Amino acid sequence: MSRLLLFYRLIVRPLFREPVRTALTVLAIALGVAVVLAINLAGTAATGSFRSSMETLAGDYDLEINAAGGVPESEVGALAALPYPVRVSPRMEDYAVIADTQQTLPLLGLDLIAESRSRADTPSDVNIDQPENALRYLGDYDSVWVGESLGRKPGDRISLLINDQVHAYTVRGVYPDSNGNASAVVMDLAAAQAVLHKFGRVDRILAKVPQTPELEEWQRRFKEKLPAGVEVRSAGTGTDENRRMLGAFRWNLRLLSYIALVVGAFLIYNTISVSVVRRRVEIGIVRALGASRRSILAAFVGEAACFGFVGALIGLPLGRVMASGAVKLMAATVESLYVSSRPGPIELNSASVLLAMAVGTGVAIASAYSPAREASLVSPVEAMARGQREYSTRVHKTRDLVCALFLGLGAAMASLAPAVAGKPLFGYLATLLLIMASALAIPALVEGVTRFSSRPLGRILGVEALLASRSLSASLRRTSVLVGALSTAIAMMTSVGIMVGSFRQTVLLWMGDQLPADLYLRPAGNAAADRHPMISLDLVAKIARLPGVAAIDRLRAYEISFDGMPATLGSVELSVHRSYHKADFLSGRSTNEVLAELRDSNAVIVSEPFANKHHVRAGDSIALPLGEARPSFRIVEVYYDYRSERGSILMDRNTMLRYLPDPAPSNLAIYVAPEARLETVRAEIEQAAAGHRVFIFSNRDLRGEALRIFDRTFAITYALEAVAVIIAVMGVAGALLALVIDRRRELGLLRFLGAASGQVRKLIVVEAGLLGLLATLAGVALGFALSLILIFVINKQSFGWTIRFHWPVAVLLGALMVVYVATVLAGLYPASVAVRLNPIEVVHEE
Amino acid sequence: MPILSVQNVTKDYLTDGQRVRALDDLSLEVSRGEFVALVGRSGCGKSTLLNLAGAMDFPTSGHVLLDGVSTSSMKDAGLTQLRREKIGFIFQSFQLLHTLTVFENVELPLLLAGKQNARATARESLIWVELEGLGERYPHQLSGGQMQRVAIARALIHRPSILLADEPTGNLDTSTGNVILELLRRLTREQNTATIIATHSGEAATLADAVVRLRDGKIEDISRR
Repeated sequence: MSRLLLFYRLIVRPLFREPVRTALTVLAIALGVAVVLAINLAGTAATGSFRSSMETLAGDYDLEINAAGGVPESEVGALAALPYPVRVSPRMEDYAVIADTQQTLPLLGLDLIAESRSRADTPSDVNIDQPENALRYLGDYDSVWVGESLGRKPGDRISLLINDQVHAYTVRGVYPDSNGNASAVVMDLAAAQAVLHKFGRVDRILAKVPQTPELEEWQRRFKEKLPAGVEVRSAGTGTDENRRMLGAFRWNLRLLSYIALVVGAFLIYNTISVSVVRRRVEIGIVRALGASRRSILAAFVGEAACFGFVGALIGLPLGRVMASGAVKLMAATVESLYVSSRPGPIELNSASVLLAMAVGTGVAIASAYSPAREASLVSPVEAMARGQREYSTRVHKTRDLVCALFLGLGAAMASLAPAVAGKPLFGYLATLLLIMASALAIPALVEGVTRFSSRPLGRILGVEALLASRSLSASLRRTSVLVGALSTAIAMMTSVGIMVGSFRQTVLLWMGDQLPADLYLRPAGNAAADRHPMISLDLVAKIARLPGVAAIDRLRAYEISFDGMPATLGSVELSVHRSYHKADFLSGRSTNEVLAELRDSNAVIVSEPFANKHHVRAGDSIALPLGEARPSFRIVEVYYDYRSERGSILMDRNTMLRYLPDPAPSNLAIYVAPEARLETVRAEIEQAAAGHRVFIFSNRDLRGEALRIFDRTFAITYALEAVAVIIAVMGVAGALLALVIDRRRELGLLRFLGAASGQVRKLIVVEAGLLGLLATLAGVALGFALSLILIFVINKQSFGWTIRFHWPVAVLLGALMVVYVATVLAGLYPASVAVRLNPIEVVHEE
Repeated sequence: MPILSVQNVTKDYLTDGQRVRALDDLSLEVSRGEFVALVGRSGCGKSTLLNLAGAMDFPTSGHVLLDGVSTSSMKDAGLTQLRREKIGFIFQSFQLLHTLTVFENVELPLLLAGKQNARATARESLIWVELEGLGERYPHQLSGGQMQRVAIARALIHRPSILLADEPTGNLDTSTGNVILELLRRLTREQNTATIIATHSGEAATLADAVVRLRDGKIEDISRR
């Protein structure tokens, strides 16, 4: 109790004497914790269940049977006829858009007769109230059942966009849908087959099997009875696949969120260092009065823990609020690049609270340990001796510089190491080593720059600049920590800026080659990486007949599972592709040469992310599940592809039609005849598409749309960078405030020596400006090195994309300017405090 | 005309809500070339009087006239200008900036005032205090006496009319302190400056042209040579 009282008197109470500085430190930690928590909560909500919308509606089944292009309906009967007590549930699965609200929902075709029989023992998430009543509407193909969260009631009419056409339906009933989490449009299987034009096939069969024998045995028994191309997997495999697919996305985002905390750690280190330096005399007194080294260590670690604990407490609600914004961005990215999924609710559970508290307090304690230990080593005599320098400049610059060089070397070596279990662990290690190397090199940089620049600065900017520069150099340790914090934030901004800018430029160049058509057409509704609604054949025929249309490339895509990961299987028309397309292959081979090998043969080209994920390359063979067959295909070439991280396989349309004889395309690429006008042809297509709901994009529109999605994808990255920079700038403000308080004697003396109040203000602002300049220099250098690791190691090993290096000069300069101005502005408040100091009091204090 | 004229000055401070009188209806005149010692116990008002004389503070009542101009009538910019041109300060603990060299410390008042040829003038000032050759050193490389000489050089660099020294020998041993006092007296004559020192030193009192004895904020006695 007495120790607690002493802790309060000597450590906690002084914090209230500088409320602004204490608040800034606490807020820095709070922001760091909030960011980590927000990304964690939002990640869990947006992707945490890893369940696609369809998986959410699967219900409690044991096995799932599917095939690219659908399972023949006859197999449902074959499975049901097996001499085992198994229940099978055939399903049609697609997506529908509610015409008036544009909300996209899973469209589920269920065998209502079978569902009504099996309802008792196979509880489904889609639980139609009294399905036996639904049997009355079996013959009516316009009957649907919807989740109650849609707010419809039986008898309501509802218009649904399915593929490229709007159909009118009558709501026959509503079912509880867990506040929208299990919301779907449900119709009878036959009605779904009709509207989706998939006669004789079902998208998936779910099976409930007895507990014995083992599931693997059931899997084997089913497999025996089914064609080679039909897959039998345990239920939830899709969820596991999504989990694997989204792993790198979540992992990288999570790590990015920790950067803000690293910046916060620098600032805690600085705060505790200042605290130790200021209280050297007090430390000496309490040591002389009998305090042990351990007590001193505990006191300062305790001070940091207080900052961390209070910061985490504030960070908790802040993180919860930030998560709401982040989840929207993350869900949009997941849907664009990975899988159609519905963000779940944001749950601030005890694990999240524990994470926040552990992260906040842990980082604070860890970063305070070194200065706290230094405090514990102070001898009473040394501490109490008068004339003790205010700042310890025991910074071993040369030794640290040598260490920095070794760490840099270690980073270079780590960046050459391969991924570990698909994760770029050595890449992360390389970034960590580089940040450490930079932190160690900063004292030498600060001293070097200030030594050579203080006099020229004094001549250019006046005596205030000379004093500011000398002051930074004199408090080398504190300056180095501040520059370290700010430069880490700037480096993060620079490296991510270069990475995103390079990626964007690469995508722009790639689109120049990959989007050669004049117009593109797809069914209306929100696009998603795993949804491929189809265009009616009659519309395709009408467009093909238009005089202004020179050629049409009919592209078709299917979702498949390859080697335990989701992938997109696509086909293109090689005749059109060869004439217009300029594909970009890793080997540099010509388009004509490669595409000639694909024509009418079991040969494919695969995207770079696919090749990296599945460790395949040109010349390898892969077996693909296509309808009932499982033919083998030779990989002719690997192509650059930045559409999605899922990985794509591309084959000749004729080859695909041999196995999956559904000619409806998912997208059209339309080439306008040279003599025709684009606007005229577009108008003609719009006329031809009357009665169909399609989106027509000009080449420019499509590129614009792609860039919009690209920019949205990285919006969260920019938000994380901004928070890290805000924390660092707050740190600068807090540290300058501390500096003003510590140097009040000097500032007061200047007034005695004839300094005007404006000169004192200028001194502090110039100091902030110099800090910003040093941090920018270090940050840009570190950021450049980090960007190389991000682009060529972390991104490559995580996502498999080749990104060409590009300096986004304008964006970077703009961002750096904003940070610099913010840093200078951060000096204004401390400067005003400096001006308000009473010179008589501060000079005669000693 | 006296360079400093303190007329019926009272100075009150508020400490924890309590009014404390530091100077009580005090009047004093000091002319150029005069070396005045303020003596008295701690808290008698010596430092307060120096602060008022240096235009660092305003009297609660009465007037402080510097070269005939009342400090109470001036704004911050005017007071700054006054300090830059007419006043030099010397402190007990030297108050040198440890981040600056001797030259840089000495030339600081001129640089703050935006004056040219600061280095040449600083060199000249260091010659007055017999420290030529030490200009590139940092304060921590000097002895206490040398540091106080640097502080004197700094205080004199702009040829002030009044030199205010608050316990200038308080941190020095007796012999060094005496040397510093001799130096101050010599410079007072040579530069025709009015020098006022607050001191406990008996030696200072013997060297001074006038000794002003303060007690409870009032002048108890003035003895002139």
